[in-house]
Amino acid sequence: MKLRIDRLIKTYENKRILDDLTLALDDKQVLALIGASGSGKSTLLRMISGLEAFDSGQIVVNGHEVVESEDADYRKRIGFVFQDHNLFPHLSILENILLVLEKVHGRMRSDVLPEVEALLEQFGLSEHRHKKPHQISGGQAQRASIVRALAIKPDLILLDEPTSSLDPILTHEVLNAIKVLVEASIDFIIVTHEIGFAREVADTIVFMDDGKIIEHGTPEILETPQSPLLKAFLDKVLSF
Amino acid sequence: MRKIISFFSALGLYAIFFWFVSTSALEKTIDFTIYKQYYRVILNGWITTLTISAVSLVLALFVGLVLYFMRESKFKIFVYLSEIHKTIIFGTPLVVIAIIAYYYIGNAFNIDSKFWIGALTLALYIGAYIADIYKGAIESIHINQWQTAKMFGFTRYQTYRYIVFPQVITSILPPLAGQFAMTIKSSALLAYMSTDEFLNAIQTVQSISFRYPEGFLLVTVGYLVLTIPLILLVRMLEKKLNYKVNHEIEN
Repeated sequence: MKLRIDRLIKTYENKRILDDLTLALDDKQVLALIGASGSGKSTLLRMISGLEAFDSGQIVVNGHEVVESEDADYRKRIGFVFQDHNLFPHLSILENILLVLEKVHGRMRSDVLPEVEALLEQFGLSEHRHKKPHQISGGQAQRASIVRALAIKPDLILLDEPTSSLDPILTHEVLNAIKVLVEASIDFIIVTHEIGFAREVADTIVFMDDGKIIEHGTPEILETPQSPLLKAFLDKVLSF
Repeated sequence: MRKIISFFSALGLYAIFFWFVSTSALEKTIDFTIYKQYYRVILNGWITTLTISAVSLVLALFVGLVLYFMRESKFKIFVYLSEIHKTIIFGTPLVVIAIIAYYYIGNAFNIDSKFWIGALTLALYIGAYIADIYKGAIESIHINQWQTAKMFGFTRYQTYRYIVFPQVITSILPPLAGQFAMTIKSSALLAYMSTDEFLNAIQTVQSISFRYPEGFLLVTVGYLVLTIPLILLVRMLEKKLNYKVNHEIEN
C-alpha cells in the first residue's frame, strides 16, 4: 500500500481528535495503529476508509485522494472489519457475503458462489454458512466479517480493533485468521491492542497519543522506544 | 381448564351486566324483524366498511412511508410539510376532518365518490400514525448497520431495501395490525359524510324502524367480528416476536 497523510485535522466539540497528522508510507503491507483508548487510532482508520469527513488536510491511498465521506466508489474497493463484526443480523453468514457482492458489485451469484464457499472453507466457516450471526460465536462472526471484507477482493482491508470484544481464546482464533491475510500478501491496516501480534505481523507500527502520531517505524520501535510516551505505554501494556 | 372457566365466567358477568341494562332501560322487547328485512343493505354496509378500511390501510402504509421520508429529507420544506400534517391530524378529531374533507376539500376538487373521499381521508389520518410506527422501527436499527452499509458502498435505496426493511417488517406487524383495527373503528365516523358504510346502513334502518337498541347491538357485534381477530392477531404476533427477541438475547 501507499499511504500519504498530510496535516490531517479533525475536531469534535472543540476538541482536536486528530491533531495535525502527517505520515508517508510506500510499499508497505501491514500497518498497525497502536495507542491507548481515545488516542484517535479508530478515528484515523475511519477517515482513511472515507466513512467520516475530516476538517482539513489530505489523505491519499494508493494514489486516490480520499475527499469526503460520500466517496462510495472508493469505499467499494476497501474492505472493513468492524470491532463488533457488524454482520447484518437478519441474514445468514453466506447471505451477508453474497449481498455485498451481488447488490453493490453487481456480480452474479452463480459466478461468485464457488469463490465464497472456498473462502468460508479456508476460514473454517463452511458448516456455519447457513447460520445467522447470533447462532455462532463471536470469534466465528468476526472471522465471517473478515471473509466478507476479503470476498470483494479489496485493494486494502481496514480492521478496527477486531478482537477487543472477544475473550482470549476467541482472540487467538481471530488473530490466526488475520495471519491468513498476511500470508496471502493482502495489504491491511489494523487498529489493535495486541502488541505482540502487531510486532509479529506488521511491517510498520504507528503509535498515537492524544490525537498525535508520537512515533512510527518498523516493529523495532517496540523494542527500543524513543519517546517517553511510547515507553510508558509499552510498560503499562506489557506489565501483565 | 381453569383458564377456560375463568374466561367464560368473565364473559358471563358481562352478559349479566348488559342483560340488566337492557331489561331496566328498555321498555320494548328485542325484535330484529326489520333488520332481517334490510339485511342486504346492512351486509353491503358491513362489506363497505371492510373494503374501505382495507383500501385505507394500504394507502396509509404508503402515506406513512412518504411522511417518514419527508421527515428525514434534507429539504426543510418537506420536513415541515410532514410535521404540520402530523400536528393537524394528531390534534383534530377525525369526525371534523371527515366533514371538512367531504363537504369542502372534496367539493373544491370535484371528487364525488364518497368511498374514495372516505378512504383517502382515513389514509391521510392513519398514515400520520403509521409514519411514527415506521420511525420507531427504523430508528431501532443500530447505527453500526447503517455505517456498515455505507462502508460497503450500498446506496441509500439499497440500504433500506436489503438491510433496514427486512428487519423492521417483523417489528412493525403487531402495531400495524392494531392500526388496522383502529382504521375499522374510525371508518364509522365516515357515516358523517354519508358514506354507505356499516354504521350509516344501520342508522338508516334505525330511523325508519325506531328500533334503536337492536341497531346498536348489531353495530357492536358487526365491528367486533372484524376487530377481535385483529386483536388476537396482534397478541399472537407480539408473543411470537417477543419469543424471537428473547431467543436471540439468550444466544
